Formats: sequence, structure tokens, C-alpha cells
Amino acid sequence: MTEEKFGILLIVPALCLLAVIALYPIVRSFHLSFTESGEFVGLSNFVSIFHDERFRDASLTTLLFFSISVPLELILGIGVALLLQGKFKGRGIVRAAHLIPWALPTVVMAIAWKWIFNDAYGVFNDILLRLGIIREPIAWLGLPGKAFFCIIVAEVWKCVPFVTIIILAGLQSIPRELYEALSVDGAGYWQRFRLITLPLLRPAILVALIFRGTQALGVFDSIWVMTGGGPAGSTEPISLYIYSTVFRYLNIGYASSMVTIAFLFSLLFACIVYFVLTRRPVEY
Amino acid sequence: MCTSWGICKPFGIEIRIDSSWIFILGLIASTIGQALAFFLIFLGVSQVLIGLFFNGLWIALIGWFVHSAATPRYREVLVKEMLKDLRAQDLMDTAFETVGGSIFLKQKILLTILVVLFSSTVYAQGNKARISFLSWPDPGGGFEEVVADFKRENPGIDVEIIKGPTSTDLRQDMYVTSFLAGEPTYDMVLMDIIWVPQFAHQGWLLPLDEWFDKEAMKEFLPGDVEGSIYNGRLYRIPLQSDAGMLYYRRDLLEEAGLAPPETWEEFLEAAKRLENPPIRWGFVFQGKQYEGLVCNFLEFIWSFGGGVFNERGQLALDSPQNVEALAFMCDLIHVQKVTPPGVTTYEEEECRHIFQEGNAVFCRNWPYQWTLAQGKRSPVRGKIGIAPLPHKKGQSSHATLGGWGFGISRFTRKKDACVRFIRYITGPGAQRKLHLRSGVVPTRRSLFHDTGILRESPYYAGLFKILLHARPRPVHPDYPRISDIISRHVHKALLRQNTPQDVLKRAQSQIEKIVRRQRG
Repeated sequence: MTEEKFGILLIVPALCLLAVIALYPIVRSFHLSFTESGEFVGLSNFVSIFHDERFRDASLTTLLFFSISVPLELILGIGVALLLQGKFKGRGIVRAAHLIPWALPTVVMAIAWKWIFNDAYGVFNDILLRLGIIREPIAWLGLPGKAFFCIIVAEVWKCVPFVTIIILAGLQSIPRELYEALSVDGAGYWQRFRLITLPLLRPAILVALIFRGTQALGVFDSIWVMTGGGPAGSTEPISLYIYSTVFRYLNIGYASSMVTIAFLFSLLFACIVYFVLTRRPVEY
Repeated sequence: MCTSWGICKPFGIEIRIDSSWIFILGLIASTIGQALAFFLIFLGVSQVLIGLFFNGLWIALIGWFVHSAATPRYREVLVKEMLKDLRAQDLMDTAFETVGGSIFLKQKILLTILVVLFSSTVYAQGNKARISFLSWPDPGGGFEEVVADFKRENPGIDVEIIKGPTSTDLRQDMYVTSFLAGEPTYDMVLMDIIWVPQFAHQGWLLPLDEWFDKEAMKEFLPGDVEGSIYNGRLYRIPLQSDAGMLYYRRDLLEEAGLAPPETWEEFLEAAKRLENPPIRWGFVFQGKQYEGLVCNFLEFIWSFGGGVFNERGQLALDSPQNVEALAFMCDLIHVQKVTPPGVTTYEEEECRHIFQEGNAVFCRNWPYQWTLAQGKRSPVRGKIGIAPLPHKKGQSSHATLGGWGFGISRFTRKKDACVRFIRYITGPGAQRKLHLRSGVVPTRRSLFHDTGILRESPYYAGLFKILLHARPRPVHPDYPRISDIISRHVHKALLRQNTPQDVLKRAQSQIEKIVRRQRG
């Protein structure tokens, strides 16, 4: 048996497991998306989706959420990782403490943020009032634009540590000599970051981006708890709409069509990121 | 290494071992397996905590797999031990189930084994009919008491109350999940009035007309019965009634020499005269985007002579009366400013807190607020009254009907026991007890004249009048979707993102599509 064949043999169990828990549901929902209450209806579900205002709004909300929160998380994550990379007293404690938001169950942190943004008892209003920035309390979660802002803040707060830890791992693998060599050549901090850190972090960024990106496209729990999709439906992502369609409207075929579209979205995103970031290998 | 039960052949030598030894060995083996699993999970979690995230995750997952492997082993050992001294007659039941000739016995046996393996309760049962339903957590304990009484009178029936979460939506999800799986997890369905059309349309409920005739249903409040009927058949027996009403501060109104308002004009006048914002607001209602907003909205449009459907049963959401009513709602917030600006984020409990702390003159809420606002530590105790909601001059008020009742699952195998229990719990005696213990509003007319109940809740005389005129929400199998459309659009108007006319027109066209598809 060649080494290659043996390798394939070794991944067979994992592939079987994936087929059962990932492939089957995808194929099944793809199949269901052409049915309605058990009957085959062809593409009619997809046609109605393109005329569905609520689906359009939900997609826009999801995309907006994705395109604001993920870059923010990435930038902050890289920043924090660079800070935590440096040597200072109590680094271990700071690194551990910094992980707390990520370790908290999302529902717990979402309830906490819901209270922070509460209009009558919230800390956020209290601070702004004391600083004199606002005159009277604002119902943060009750107004469309502001509620969206709150959700982004909570999500970014929770997910930056995740990005940080992956970037931190990536930073460990960059050889010191490269920096030394560039310093000898007289490069400043910014040049070292741009010419060494960023290119060599590419694999780590790829992982972080794919994880956070697909999660942001499927965001559910924090929004479910904080606003339930309101006010006036302005913070409803696709996943919440799908949930309502299955459990409240019992329209499984229609929901499956939305699942299929959302899945293709995520797949497309993952492919783009993958190809863009692995296009040319970095060589020194 | 064990080839069959009790006979082990290590190294080819046949040894018989006493079954209790096998039992103990098996138990030890499976317990060690479980202990190992828990240790791995613990190890994994602690690694995650000290920062080795992926390592820890792996170990915890492996532990979880081991645990799930060890658990069936443990159950199997237990079952074998339980079965060892039993003869067939000990377990045989005279009320056996027949199987069609075409079914493969293999399936039947497999099914039986699965049932025995996974229901740990089978042995304690005896041949009692066991029926269950999912309820809300009942701190008053009324349900438990009534069920205990029932069991005493019907020793052959065991009723199990499965206590569910407080959230109505979550309990609905739990029922829906078990129905979608076609399982008799819950023999009876304790349902909200708005679940009836949807559940009945899906064929998940048994029609009850056979056991509860028209004459018997006349004893109940008319709206509650009307909301329990879908396509001409009865699917639910009402247990708890519920309707929206106007709570007012009797002390303030009396001081100012005002009577409880009947029309919106009187209401506005009183609210503006007695309010003193931001310490005391004129009015609070449920303005968040959710089911509660739809209830409030319906009351407003009914009080302006409108409705979701017109007299001919056609969808008429964008009728001039409805537009006028919605514009009035918006004015209350933005022009008259009698409500706090945050009212668009309020559910029932926010309203109750504000009213109960004395920060509002009027409040729209359900009957449950009375008991709490009249509680011992409530600042407004003894200072409040209830009235029907106001209406436009020349029109009349109708409350939105809520409430709960019992249906029977299509998947149950014990419908006679269910019927008997439902008859008991919706009877006058049980309802009185439920009221006194858990504050459940009765659904039987006679109980509103019951001296015991009136002594406990004197305001019930007034509530009776409100309930008699209460209306159910639109009866349609797609009601949840319709309700979501209404709440989204009405909320847009309340936030002043669109005009009342515009939002109702859009909601109308979206609901039209659903209604049309349903017909087609």
C-alpha cells in the first residue's frame, strides 16, 4: 500500500462522519427546497423568494452585519494580538482575561448587553448622561439604526478574542530572524509590519476570516436575545427569518429554499476568501 | 469475548457465571466507562480554561463520545438485571396492541427493544393509562392540586404535567417539534387560542365535537368557544380566558371628579389633565414589535369600527377606519405625547411595572395585572380600577381575546383518558380551584357569579362584561405569518418610518398573497 493510499484510508472515517452530519442535511434541505408540504413544486419557492420583501431586507441586514462586524473584528483582533505579543508583566493573566468574552455563552453575553443598553436602567445611558453627551435617556434597542449599532458592538466585543487568539498563534510562527534582518536594513516598525507580519499572517487571517465570516452570515443567538429581529424588523438576519418560517409558519419547503440560498452565499464567500488569500505563496 | 448471555469462553473454555456476577461486572465496566468520560470532559474543559483551546475541545469531545457509548451499555446492563427473574406473565398486558399482517416482525421487535431500552419509566407503570401535557411553570400550584384530585377520583389514569418554559413561543416550538416527529410526547395540548387554526390545519388535533356537544359549550364564554373552532369543528376546550382592558388610577380620577373614560376624547382629556411627565405618564400599552402589539392594534381598529376583515369576510386592512385608528395610535406617542417615548419597546411587564410604580394614569393590560397591582407591596394597591378600553364616539369597544385551553393530540393512544381529564379540569370545580390557587381566569359563565370567586376578585363582575364582548384574533392557519406582517408594519408606523396609510397598504398586499395561496 502506498503512502498516499494509506493516507486516504485514514481520512475515510472522518469523511463518513462528515457525510452523515454535514453532507446529508445539506442535500436533504436542497431536496426539500423544491417541495411544499411534501409535493414537488419545482422552482416556485425560489421565484417567491425573489419577490419576498422580507427576505430582501433580511439579506441586506445580514450582509451589512457581516461587512461591518467582520472587518472590525479583524482589525481589532490583529491590534490586540500585536499588543499581547509583546513582553510585559502579567502577560499570562491579561491573555487569559482577554478570552473571557469568547468563553461566555452567547446568550448570557447578549442578555448582559441588553441590560447595558436598556433605556431606563442601562449603564450605557447612565454614562452618556453623566458625561453630558446626551440630554435624556435613549431607547437604544428601540430605534432601528441604534439597535443595529448595539448588536454590532456586542458581537464585536464577543468575537475579537477569537480572532486575537488565532492571529496570536500565527504571530508565534514568524521567525525572529526576518525582523532582525529587516532592522539591519533600516526598516521602521510600520515597514516591518507591512513587509513581514502581514504577509506571513496570511494563513492565520484566512482561518479567522472563514470562521468569523461564515458565523456572521449565520448569526442568530445574539440578535434573537437582544432584539428578536425588531424594531420594525430592522435587525432581522436571514437565520431568524428561516427560524420563523420553520417553527412559526411551518413552511418547511420555503425555509429550505432560503437555507439553500444562504448556504450558497457562505460557500461563495469561503471560496473567494480561500482563492484570494492563497493565490500566491509567500516566499523568502 | 462473551458469546451469549451468561456463558463466557475466554481461551476456548466454557465457563458459566452466575448472572448477578455478570451484572456487577457489567455495571462496574459501564460505570468506569462513564467515569472516564466525565474525567475526559473535565480535563478538556479545564484545558480550554487555561488557554489550550483546540486541545481541550478535542479531549472534551472524545469524552463526550465515550460517555454516549457508555450510557447505552449501562442501560442495557440495568435492563438485563431487571428482566432476569421475570416470567412472561409478569409483564404481559391484557390490553395488547394488534399489528397489521404485512408489517415485518423485525421492525416490531426492534421497536419494542428500543422502547424498553430508552424509557426508564416503563417498569414503574403497571397498566395505568398515562397521559401528559406541557404546561407553563405554575408557581401557584393550582395545576398540581387539580391533577392530584383527578387521580384520586380516577385511579386508573396517571396524569403527568410536564413543566415547560415561561415563554409561550418556546412551548409552541416544543409542541410543534413533537408533532413534526409524529410522536405522542404530549397526549394533550394546552394551547393558546391562536394556535388552534394552525395546529388543526396541520391535522395534529382530534376534533372534539363527539364528546363536547353544542349544548355543553354554551356554558362557556362565547368568544372562547368561537376561537376554539376551525372549519366548523371544535378542537379546544377553553380553560383560561384572557382579554385586554383599561386599568386606571381610581384615586386620581376621583380627585379630579372624572368618571372612567368611555370614548377616546374623554380618555385623552383625562390623560392630559392627570399626567405629569416624566414622573407620571398618561398611558402605557404594548408597543414592541411582537404578538402583543397586534393585540393592541386590533383593539384600536375595532374601537374605530374597523377590522382585519370586513363584514363580507374580505381582507380590509387598509380601510379608512383602520388608517384612522393607527394614526391615532401614532399621535398618542408623537403628537399628544401621553405615552413615554420608549413605549415602542414595551411588553406587558414593562407596562405593569410603570403602572404599578404609580408612573402612569392609564394602562392597557391583561387580567393578570390586577392581582399583582393589588398585591401587598404594590404602591397603587386599592387605588386602581378596570374598564373596557375606550372607543371612538358612536362605536363600541372590543377586547382582544387571549387564553388557554386543552386539545387532544392526533398521536395519542389514550384519547378516552384524555377526554375524561379534560372534562374534569375544565369543569366548574376544577376551574374555581385553579382560580383561587393560580389566578386563572375562568371560562365558564357561571363562575363569574360565584360568591367565592367574587369575594376573592370583586372586579370579576366588570371583567365578565369585557370578556362577553371580546373577539378572537383572525382565525387563519397562517395566522403567525399574518401577525408578523401586521406587527412589523404597525411598528414601522409607530416609529414614524412610514405613514399609517402606507404601512397598512403594504401589509394588506402581503397578507393578500398568503390568503390567496391558501385558497388556491
